[in-house]
Amino acid sequence: MIEIKNLVKHYGDKKAVNGISFTVNSGEVLGFLGPNGAGKSTTMNIITGYLSSTSGSVKINGHDILEEPELAKKSIGYLPELPPLYLDMTVMEYLNFICDVKGIKRKDRASHLAKILTLVKIVDVADRLIGNLSKGYKQRVGIAQAMVGNPEILILDEPTVGLDPNQIREIRKLIRLLAKDHTVIISSHILSEIQAVCDRVVIINKGKVAAIDTIGDLSKRLSDSNKILLTFKGEEKNVIHAIKALPGIVEVYSRDINDGGIHQIEIQVNSSSDIRANIFFTMAKLGCPILEMRSLDASLEEVFLSITSGK
Amino acid sequence: MLAIFKREFLSYFKSPVAYIAFALFSFLSGFVFVTNFSNGAVNISSEIISLRGFFVIVVPIITMGLFAEDKKRGTDIIYYTTPISLFSVVLGKFLAAFALFGVLYLNVVIHIFVTLGFDGTIDYGVLGSTIVFFVMAALFIAIGLLASAITDNQIVAAILSFVMIMVVQLLPTIGQFVATVLSSLLNVIANVSASETSEMSKNIVAAFTWLNPFDRTNDFKYGVFSLVAVIFCVSFAAFFLFLSYRVLEKKRWSQS
Repeated sequence: MIEIKNLVKHYGDKKAVNGISFTVNSGEVLGFLGPNGAGKSTTMNIITGYLSSTSGSVKINGHDILEEPELAKKSIGYLPELPPLYLDMTVMEYLNFICDVKGIKRKDRASHLAKILTLVKIVDVADRLIGNLSKGYKQRVGIAQAMVGNPEILILDEPTVGLDPNQIREIRKLIRLLAKDHTVIISSHILSEIQAVCDRVVIINKGKVAAIDTIGDLSKRLSDSNKILLTFKGEEKNVIHAIKALPGIVEVYSRDINDGGIHQIEIQVNSSSDIRANIFFTMAKLGCPILEMRSLDASLEEVFLSITSGK
Repeated sequence: MLAIFKREFLSYFKSPVAYIAFALFSFLSGFVFVTNFSNGAVNISSEIISLRGFFVIVVPIITMGLFAEDKKRGTDIIYYTTPISLFSVVLGKFLAAFALFGVLYLNVVIHIFVTLGFDGTIDYGVLGSTIVFFVMAALFIAIGLLASAITDNQIVAAILSFVMIMVVQLLPTIGQFVATVLSSLLNVIANVSASETSEMSKNIVAAFTWLNPFDRTNDFKYGVFSLVAVIFCVSFAAFFLFLSYRVLEKKRWSQS
């Protein structure tokens, strides 16, 4: 479990992190979201002990990162934004070095490393120089490095940045696998990534926590509350008029699209009523075929934009 | 610490650094040896002592990357976020550079055997000079390590350690300069005559010379062994290692 209280970090006059507090429960996968420069990496660097905060505290399983650093660091595996790889070593040499640094006993090492190599799928490059590996493989070696010593907490800073779509999918799969028996914090500015793997999200903006919630609740809370998108063929004016006459309608907006007689409108409805059947019959009566009808739930993208743009 | 030592020492040989340092040192020490040899007077002891003068070139090559490279590549994060202690990292890197000096010393060993091959004799003076070789190497490596801990640019680290070692080398001259400037200032401002400031000048020069490890270890080439000189170098080496540790420790708290 990680407890973060009132974290503040000044860089000169600038406050990179300004009073961030949240907790991560064990076994949870927490997404750490924010635009570039919001203070994600700084916060993660503070949690892992790379930087010290100007004020505030970080406790890992009850151990303060500054007061009992060795105990706290033992339970953390960290993949920074730039994986800390020595390009002049082979993967195996490097992981052995990490084992040395983390104090893994020699007799447990072979099986431990074999397990990690298989899980991260770098068995076939184990004897190659890290400097000659592709970016995707380097990222995997970075994750492997974080997993050495079986830390219960994994902190991954933008694990898929700069990878191609195939590699991204593979890394995500790996993260989901790791999430089964680790507490994971992942930072990202890519929302679909967070949506795909996380239980909860912390959104930060300009060094402050903008929102903490489960993904479902967050999008519900900020959803454009009960809007229906309707795409149809026919006379727009008539349709708007007819639908406005239906019970439970608050407002109808035109999207001003006219693609060969195809129009789109947004229908704002009362939260209580499901009006879709009524719309269907009304449109049938008008002789205007419905091409698409769906409710507009705000995607995480929109939630993110609306939170971080300060609306 | 052993892990860091092993990694750093091996990485010297995976990059050109070890080879360049060795080639350069072979050339310089070989030059001294051959010059003495052709003069018909080979004294290994005094050769070793004169090799100290080349440390100013060799040490920066060896130490410039120690921390600067890590910081540039982002691998220093390993030292801060794993349970390893920062001081053992400093010590491990120091020992790696020190061990490389052991490799450089092989040149001298070759010269010793060549001398023996020409019916030369070896006395205990060589042992004393060898100790000087290593304690002064330790001192300068510690200075180079500090330079490398300060910056994340290898070139800057190299220049910085070159300048710092140069200053150490020139301490008596600097002392002379400070004394001259100070006494002429006093002469102009307070109208103190040169004869009155001569005592002060002498003391200033003495103080600067006191700090100079070269003057302290010169007599080793005659077989004079001074424990004070050895302790002097070792304790200053320890001091610079401690400074490096503090610099790295402080980086965590940096505000910029």
